[in-house]
Amino acid sequence: MQLRRALGLLPLALLFLAWEISVELKVYPPILLPPPAKVAMVFVEDLPTVLDNALASVERVVAGIGLSFLVAVPLGLMIGRYRVLDLLTDWSIQIFRSVPPISLIPLAILFLGIGDKPAITLIFLSGLWPLLINTIFGVRGIERTLMKVARAARASEWLVMKDIVLPAALPAIFTGLRLAVGAGWLTVVTAEMIAVKSGLGYMILNAQLTFRSDLIFAGIVVIGAIGLLADQLVRLARARVCRWQEGLTAATE
Amino acid sequence: MTRFIEVNSVGKTYPGKLEPVEALRGIDFTCNEGDFVCLLGRSGCGKSTLLQLMAGLETPSAGHIAVAGRELDGPSPSASIVFQDHGLFPWMTVQKNVEFNMKARGLSAAERAATARRLLEMTGLTGFEGRYPHELSGGMRQRVGIARALTTGPKALLMDEPFGALDAQTRGKLQDELLQIWETQKTTVLFVTHSIDEALLLADRILVFTPRPGRIAADIEVDLPRPRAPESEPFATLARELRALIGADRDFD
Repeated sequence: MQLRRALGLLPLALLFLAWEISVELKVYPPILLPPPAKVAMVFVEDLPTVLDNALASVERVVAGIGLSFLVAVPLGLMIGRYRVLDLLTDWSIQIFRSVPPISLIPLAILFLGIGDKPAITLIFLSGLWPLLINTIFGVRGIERTLMKVARAARASEWLVMKDIVLPAALPAIFTGLRLAVGAGWLTVVTAEMIAVKSGLGYMILNAQLTFRSDLIFAGIVVIGAIGLLADQLVRLARARVCRWQEGLTAATE
Repeated sequence: MTRFIEVNSVGKTYPGKLEPVEALRGIDFTCNEGDFVCLLGRSGCGKSTLLQLMAGLETPSAGHIAVAGRELDGPSPSASIVFQDHGLFPWMTVQKNVEFNMKARGLSAAERAATARRLLEMTGLTGFEGRYPHELSGGMRQRVGIARALTTGPKALLMDEPFGALDAQTRGKLQDELLQIWETQKTTVLFVTHSIDEALLLADRILVFTPRPGRIAADIEVDLPRPRAPESEPFATLARELRALIGADRDFD
């Protein structure tokens, strides 16, 4: 099992090797393509810069996706449960989710200025749609018999929501959360390149202006690593919360 | 003996894709408190539809149904339903599943726990309280379904092919257990099945359904002492009679 987990490292090792070889063969001058060792040094010499900016980015994503979660999950449960709300919102959801959050950066700056506000708003929007759509999808998937059991028991609407609709939708909500965190992370880096003066996106863009390609590479490594970590965290939370699902699905995580 | 369930000229028509589908026509019968009645017929003869109507989960297109002297306008508090696919909530433990109907009625945690303990013991589920449905065998799951149905002290159990998905051995065992429950609890049982043997093993009275549209073709008293032996002559005679009734319009297939 441990060996099979390690299989995921193979492509990364190959990439690293290709990088080393490219540096040795001088495909690009070292000022553009720094050797891995030099990039590693960034984590020693410029650690505070990297950490501060990484923290700034993470905070924005947590705030933005947290907001999307608070809005999308209750809304999705309602839309999934009540046909009228579905008819009311379906077209709007399909229209707005097709708009890439990145394309809203100019508007966000116009209306909200420069800083955390536009960034968090954009992250909120990028997480909102996947969470909303997956929550609705989760509610739709409830077995009909279970709803009959609830009706036959004359369960209150509140009990149905809390004890049936929400738990039934939880696996799908977590799928939505994984997508939302991924989308939010993509958005934060882009937004920081334009609308904010801190964060990993800002750090990378700034490094380009000062010819610090080692810092750019370090930034990319950190962005990838945090992305992986965040995804693993959501998976772990899902496995915890949806323990009842173990052995029910064909592909267990 | 009081009339417990009254069904008066009930019909049910569904809006079909091409034309309306008449599932039931002119259903008339009454059943006394404590009766064990089987609704017997091949699939598509409307027997399950009638059970859903008596459970208050669907409304008749014509006619009236009264349970415990009260015209039905939704699920009756004096009846509980048991589904073929057991309708257990996969995210709830056995304990929580059994407590659900009581929770829907607003009973306190202490009351729920006490009743659940009694019924789990009666259905041989003691020791399985913390398990999830998917960790149980089909027979055990249906025991949970029956235990849950009994928690509200129902005067009638409405059972929709509850043992249809079980292997023969488990089915036989659960049939015996159900008869015991019926004898000790004095509940009225309405039991949908497509198995002639099952109907003859269990019922005081068998309503034979024929399809297109669903109608009651015969109302047969089963005056055989329990436990009943399928090998016995009177049993076999009745079985032949029922087979003839059910197969009467085989030409339609």
